[in-house]
Amino acid sequence: MKLIVGGYAQGKLQYAMEKYGAKDWILADGYLPEAGQKVIINHFHLWVRRTMEKGECPEEKIKEYLEAHPQCIIISDEIGGGLVPMDAFEREYRERTGRILVELAKGAEEVERVICGIGQKIK
Amino acid sequence: MMTLIIGGSGSGKSAFAEQYIVSAAGEKKKYYIATMKVYDEEGRRKVEKHRMQRADKGFQTIESPVDIEKAAQEIKENHAVALLECMSNLVANEMFSSEIPEKKDVVVQKILEGIRSLKEQVEHLVIVTNHVFEDGVVYDSMTMEYMCALGEINQHLAAMSENVMEVVVGIPVMLKGEG
Repeated sequence: MKLIVGGYAQGKLQYAMEKYGAKDWILADGYLPEAGQKVIINHFHLWVRRTMEKGECPEEKIKEYLEAHPQCIIISDEIGGGLVPMDAFEREYRERTGRILVELAKGAEEVERVICGIGQKIK
Repeated sequence: MMTLIIGGSGSGKSAFAEQYIVSAAGEKKKYYIATMKVYDEEGRRKVEKHRMQRADKGFQTIESPVDIEKAAQEIKENHAVALLECMSNLVANEMFSSEIPEKKDVVVQKILEGIRSLKEQVEHLVIVTNHVFEDGVVYDSMTMEYMCALGEINQHLAAMSENVMEVVVGIPVMLKGEG
C-alpha cells in the first residue's frame, strides 16, 4: 500500500495519476471498492467520516480492506492542522483520522506528502 | 541543546517525541513537563492516555499548566533532560486563566523567559508544539490573538533550537538540523 497525504487542494490526486498512470487504476472517490486490486482511494478522510457517522469502526474496516487489497493507493487530506474544534464529533473525527493515518503510514511501503502539487517522499 | 517538534492533532507527535527523548537521554534523568489543565472527562481520558503511553519510560512528571519558570526550579540534577508537552496548552493557560485575557506580548515574553531558564537547567530540552494554523477559518479576535501568540512563540523556539522537526502521519520531517 502507498499513502499520499497533504492539505486541501494541494494536487494530491493529480500527482498520483501522473505518477502511477491514470489508465491502469480504478479510482474510488471516498469509498473502498471490493473489485480489483489496482485501486486509488481518493478522499479517504471522507470515508473515515462517513464510516464514523454510520456508527461503524473505520479502524477495523480499513485493516480488513488492506489485508484483501495490499496494492492500493490511499489519498487523504491532512485535517489536523487547525484549532481544536468545539464540536465533540468534529474533534473525534480529526483525532481518529490522524491516528488511522499514522497506523497506515507504519504499514505503507511508501508515504508521500504533497504540497503545492509537489510530492515529498517521507517514507 | 534544544529540539522543537511540531505536528497537527492526531499526527503522532507525542509518541514520537517520547521515543526521541528516551533515546537521546540514555541514562540521564528524564522529566516530563505536563502543561495540560484538566477540565472535563475528555481531558481526563487524554491525560490518562498520555500517562499510559509513557508509563514504562521512566519519566518524572512535573505538572505545570502555567509558570514554566517554577518547573525549571524543580529540576535539581546537573545532567537531566526534559520533554515539555504541549506549548499550545501552556499558551492557552497563560492567556485565558484569569477573567480578563492576558495580553499577547506579556504571554510571549513570560513563556520565552521560562523556556530560557528551563533550557539552562537541562542538557536537552524537547518541546512539543501544535500546528493549529492551517484550517483557513477566521476566528474571533481573542482566538486570533492566541494563534498569533503561539505562532510567535513557535518562531522564537525554532530559532533557539538546534533541531526542528514536523511530525507527519507519525514520520519526522526535518525542518532544521540533523535530528
